[in-house]
Amino acid sequence: MPIKLTQGAVKALYNGTPVHNPVLQLMNIRRLTSSDSPRYRLAMSDGQHFLSAFLLATQLNHLAEEDLLVPNCVCLLKRTTTNTLSDGRQVVVVVEMEVLKSAEETGGKIGNPKPYSTDGKQASPHMVSSNTSEPASTSAAELPGPSGTNSNNSRGWGKKFTGKAPMTASPMKTSPMEESPMKTSPMKGSPMKTFPMKESPMKTSPMKGSPMKTSPMKGSPMKVSPMKATTSSPSAIPKVIPISNLNPYISKWTIRARVTNKSNIRNWSNSRGEGKLFSFEIVDESGEIKITAFNNEVDKFFSLVEQGKVYYISKATLKIANKQYTTLKNDYEMTLHAHSSIVPCEDTHDIPSMQCDFVPIGDLENRDKDAIIDIIGVCKSAEDVSRITTKNSREVSKRAINLIDTTGKVVTVTLWGEEAEKFDGSGQPVVAIKGARLSDFGGRSLSALFSSTVMVNPDLPEAFRLRVWYDKEGYAVDSQSLTETMSVSIGPKMNWKTLSDVKNENMGHGEKAEYFSCVATVVYMRKENCLYQACPSADCNKKVIDQQNGFYRCEKCNREFPSYKYRLLLSANLADFGDNQWVTCFQETAEVLLGRKAEELGQLRETDEAEFDEVFQKANFKTHIFKNRVKLETYNDESRVKVTVMEVLPVDHREYSRRLISNIQKLAC
Amino acid sequence: MAGILDVPKPRINCSMLSRFINRAVCFVGRVEKVHPSGKMFTVVDGESKTATVELNEPLEEELSGVVEVIGMVSNKGDIMASTYNTLREDRGVPFDLELYNEALKVIHDFPQHYPFQVAASG
Repeated sequence: MPIKLTQGAVKALYNGTPVHNPVLQLMNIRRLTSSDSPRYRLAMSDGQHFLSAFLLATQLNHLAEEDLLVPNCVCLLKRTTTNTLSDGRQVVVVVEMEVLKSAEETGGKIGNPKPYSTDGKQASPHMVSSNTSEPASTSAAELPGPSGTNSNNSRGWGKKFTGKAPMTASPMKTSPMEESPMKTSPMKGSPMKTFPMKESPMKTSPMKGSPMKTSPMKGSPMKVSPMKATTSSPSAIPKVIPISNLNPYISKWTIRARVTNKSNIRNWSNSRGEGKLFSFEIVDESGEIKITAFNNEVDKFFSLVEQGKVYYISKATLKIANKQYTTLKNDYEMTLHAHSSIVPCEDTHDIPSMQCDFVPIGDLENRDKDAIIDIIGVCKSAEDVSRITTKNSREVSKRAINLIDTTGKVVTVTLWGEEAEKFDGSGQPVVAIKGARLSDFGGRSLSALFSSTVMVNPDLPEAFRLRVWYDKEGYAVDSQSLTETMSVSIGPKMNWKTLSDVKNENMGHGEKAEYFSCVATVVYMRKENCLYQACPSADCNKKVIDQQNGFYRCEKCNREFPSYKYRLLLSANLADFGDNQWVTCFQETAEVLLGRKAEELGQLRETDEAEFDEVFQKANFKTHIFKNRVKLETYNDESRVKVTVMEVLPVDHREYSRRLISNIQKLAC
Repeated sequence: MAGILDVPKPRINCSMLSRFINRAVCFVGRVEKVHPSGKMFTVVDGESKTATVELNEPLEEELSGVVEVIGMVSNKGDIMASTYNTLREDRGVPFDLELYNEALKVIHDFPQHYPFQVAASG
């Protein structure tokens, strides 16, 4: 049965007009070998014309390799895409094709196809595609929309071009299309250079399926035309690679991704100097990566980059990720530099927005402490913002909010800084937090990190579900909080230990000091050397040196004073049922233990020794609650565990009894 | 009277009275009502149960607040007091009777850890 070719198909395909499943005969097939991955050029005929401007998509390479594509075989082109080269020539990439009839079956050439040319130039026997400099611009209008079979996919053009001009961004209608011809490198005219475009399988997202391998077009008989040197102009849509392919060894790349998380500007000042930085995380279909900008780049990009928007980003430095500062799954992270480029991208519907993996609040108990998780819930209540001073003497704002979700459980989340100040909990908004740290503070609670993203009433399906649930039933749910409200102790829960625990648990041996509370009795105090003469200036407690001339010198203030103030530095031994422990008490705690002020004691020591001793006698064998700090300290090659008393409190017998009873009951179970 | 001081006196509450008949005990409770004769008064323990205390001599002064009574438990379940002392409310921390009751339960649940023998010397 003679097979019928789709006449006029060649012309149509070349011009970008959609043709439905054209049947063409293969006239010639030629392998292009300028790179490791082969590319096959086909000359196809529709009986009327033949054209060698057909390129086989790499996923169909197997057809050629298995010798299924023999000249004269008849094929059904199920899917093609037509691309325009920078010089205006067209190339039809065959994405999906089926061999209908083998060469033997067909017998010979069907019809008498003439070479199809757009500018009348005769095709050379080497399958030169017709034109050189013809700007046969298939105007964008001719290109079908993405849904059509000829959706644009010029990503296929790739890497090395020997004897080939690099392709510029063609005037393809790009906005609805995701794809783009790649970015040009500034090649001045010379078409011969092989320029190493970087490696990456081009991702074709809207295309179902085919990651077209970039092909070298070496030896391609497409006639070379003097290339217009073009740098990527802002209107040119660059060739985009997936984030997952980024690595420090590729020299030129562009990515397109959405900003999922943008941090605030942070200033720092350390021994090496100071500076500012901000960071943001981006996501595309292949993955995510963190980007940081320092100093000048902060000024340049901070206002440009907006969370939720999609950008083309190129020319940044890739380096191994510092996992300490990010939880993203990427081995690398990026730093912007002076030549970095961030261009907003209009077309976004392919890039996933925030990738969140929300943990139900009821499930938090099963997660490890310090885990970084995403959470979403309705803000049932929020406390007022408060300002606290950190250990580093920095003041920071903080606000605790309570989130409830469909599990009926409530957890307290702490927000810091600007987010704490800006937060408005009125109206029970849905709050989603990405990258919060789970802690075992008060059972289970969450803290927003510097890198967390807090979204109020986000545009996520989970948010809508929560809103609906809460409005219908959630507000009435008698929720159970995972974060116990503070009852007795203000601040961190008192870490109750016995003195034997200190030795048994090797407390203080780690890098950080440990804090604990205990009930203990003073059994001995060193009254010799409990007082020292200190600098009388306020805030300076340094020991002064007696100049013996009525003056006392303070080394720290670098001054001499006619007087001094007495300060206590008491060494005491505490004991409980299990063990004893030497501790150091400074001024404030010593004064509590002794019940006297340092000055008084100083005077007493000089005037009335008997009474001085009496003070110590009376303080002995008194029981108190001690809040202590224990740390391993090294002094001249010797390491000792030192315990310092931070606070002395009277024993609250009732609270102590309750604690003991509860401990007994726990042990009894 | 001297005899009772040498003997271990387990602390009990009302629910334990029946177990300690004819034994010396120590009972802590809040004074509820004093009999007009002054020779008897009722006390309430940490579980809000009431017991009766009988004295040898009538009370000289008004009794109120939490008291600690040492005496023998009669067949009827009353306490024949040998001596008593008041835990003054105006000094120190007020006595928490409920907490005391909890402690009592622990003591009696674990007699192996809280033996009521007179400590052997040495």
